[in-house]
Amino acid sequence: DSHIQYERVGADVTMKCGSMDWDAAVTWTANGTDIDESHLNGSYLILKNVDLSQSGQYSCYEGSSWHLKYQTSLRVGTPPKEPVLMCRSNNYPKGFYCSWHLPTPTYIPNSFNISVIHGTKDMVCEKDAVPKNRCHIRYLQLFSTVKYKVTLTVTNPLGKNFTTLTFDEFAIVKPDPPESVVAKPVPNNPRRLEVSWQNPSSWPDPDSFPLKFFLRYRPLILDQWQHVELSDGTSHTITDAYAGKEYIIQVAAKDNDIGTWSDWSVAVHATPWTEEPKHLTTEAQITETTSASTSSFMAPPTTKICDKGAVVGSGAMAVCWTAGLVVAAYSVLFI
Amino acid sequence: MAAADSPSAALRRRDLCSRGIRLAGKMRADVVDLLDAYVEQQGLDASASVAAVEGVPQAAVERWDEQTGTQRLLENLAAYRAFRALLAQMLEEQREQLGEADAGLGRALAAVLLQVSAFAYHLEELLRLESRGIPGEEEEEEEDGLPPPPRLSLFEQKLRGLGVLRELAQWAVRSVRDLRQLAKPSPATGTAPGLAESP
Repeated sequence: DSHIQYERVGADVTMKCGSMDWDAAVTWTANGTDIDESHLNGSYLILKNVDLSQSGQYSCYEGSSWHLKYQTSLRVGTPPKEPVLMCRSNNYPKGFYCSWHLPTPTYIPNSFNISVIHGTKDMVCEKDAVPKNRCHIRYLQLFSTVKYKVTLTVTNPLGKNFTTLTFDEFAIVKPDPPESVVAKPVPNNPRRLEVSWQNPSSWPDPDSFPLKFFLRYRPLILDQWQHVELSDGTSHTITDAYAGKEYIIQVAAKDNDIGTWSDWSVAVHATPWTEEPKHLTTEAQITETTSASTSSFMAPPTTKICDKGAVVGSGAMAVCWTAGLVVAAYSVLFI
Repeated sequence: MAAADSPSAALRRRDLCSRGIRLAGKMRADVVDLLDAYVEQQGLDASASVAAVEGVPQAAVERWDEQTGTQRLLENLAAYRAFRALLAQMLEEQREQLGEADAGLGRALAAVLLQVSAFAYHLEELLRLESRGIPGEEEEEEEDGLPPPPRLSLFEQKLRGLGVLRELAQWAVRSVRDLRQLAKPSPATGTAPGLAESP
């Protein structure tokens, strides 16, 4: 019958051929390939200092009859290192979730057990279907000064390890970033950008638990961010933008009273309104415009959500790469 | 109740709630600063767990979202009245322990005590607006024949002080949330939820 055998990386492994005597004539195979006799000590298979590549199906056959006498699946792995555990409330005051992972793989199956204690009371952390290494808890009490203690134990056939987190209700409150961030130029205002966003959808009750926001923005050509903290509302007008420069803008959120700031939202790009250039009529004007911008072929400056790396700068205006290709094509025509 | 339903009463309630929220916010910031100073001056470990002490109102509450407006006001009022007495006692103990050696901490304690008193008064205003009777303070202090509690050791006093300030900081956050709930107009009648009840 078949077995599974777990061994640590670097261990020396001795496999017996079932109930066969030591001096019986046998042949061992690994994943169907014969193993050289030099690895045998009588009928025992000796594997020294095993590594991950030696995991597989090992079989032992009686010498003459080729009867299968023993079979085992060798799994080489490591005992678990201390797991990494994180708990957070992004849906205050409903509850919080904890998620975990191992810092290095063990290469063999692991099982996780999580316990949550509030004072003397045991709480059940319900495992999420997706993602797997996550569970959530509903708050039974609010405004408690008693800390929560979460212990995660990871076990596999080669060992176990654990980690503990202790925290209070307020400390782990961290909303998700604001959603649907939109930045638009303001017509006839070359230094303004209108930014708006929405509360993260995971935040259950923004009326009773309002969020405050942090906006940061900078022109692409500079490294220094400007910051604005907003205690209410989900929009803001930037009034000191550099004319004609494309900006990158992000927003973060925090509960008005407790916890920490969210991660930054997805970045949005926008360029303030500029006056339309005059119609091109002469050769001189065309040549002059080519080196600065080919604005007649560009999309109007609106919000473009694009990777920083994909942005192509072209003089005063920078656009996303698809428009940039069009620009490049027409630029070539004019050279 | 006609008084609670009138537009002017609703406006007054919203105004009192907004001011109360600001008061509680400022109070919380000052309590947090006081807590840091207290821990340092008293040589305590900031992460020490302090068991719930008798007489210190616990901010922790179950089913907070299901509370009525009146419940919120009454529980808040009871808490801040208790804190008023506890802080006064801490101030007295502080003076006994250190005399003039730590006037800064004493002043900070006194400032918080003032804010706690002001907030308690503010809550009474809100209750008056709802034409609710304000519970007398005497009732709360009457014990049913229990002997006075034994005098605490210096260390026990310090630990209790830590517990008092921690719970007060939690209460300040809870009060902000409670007042926001109170300030919400009720969808059907235009009054705050839970307040349009017969006494």
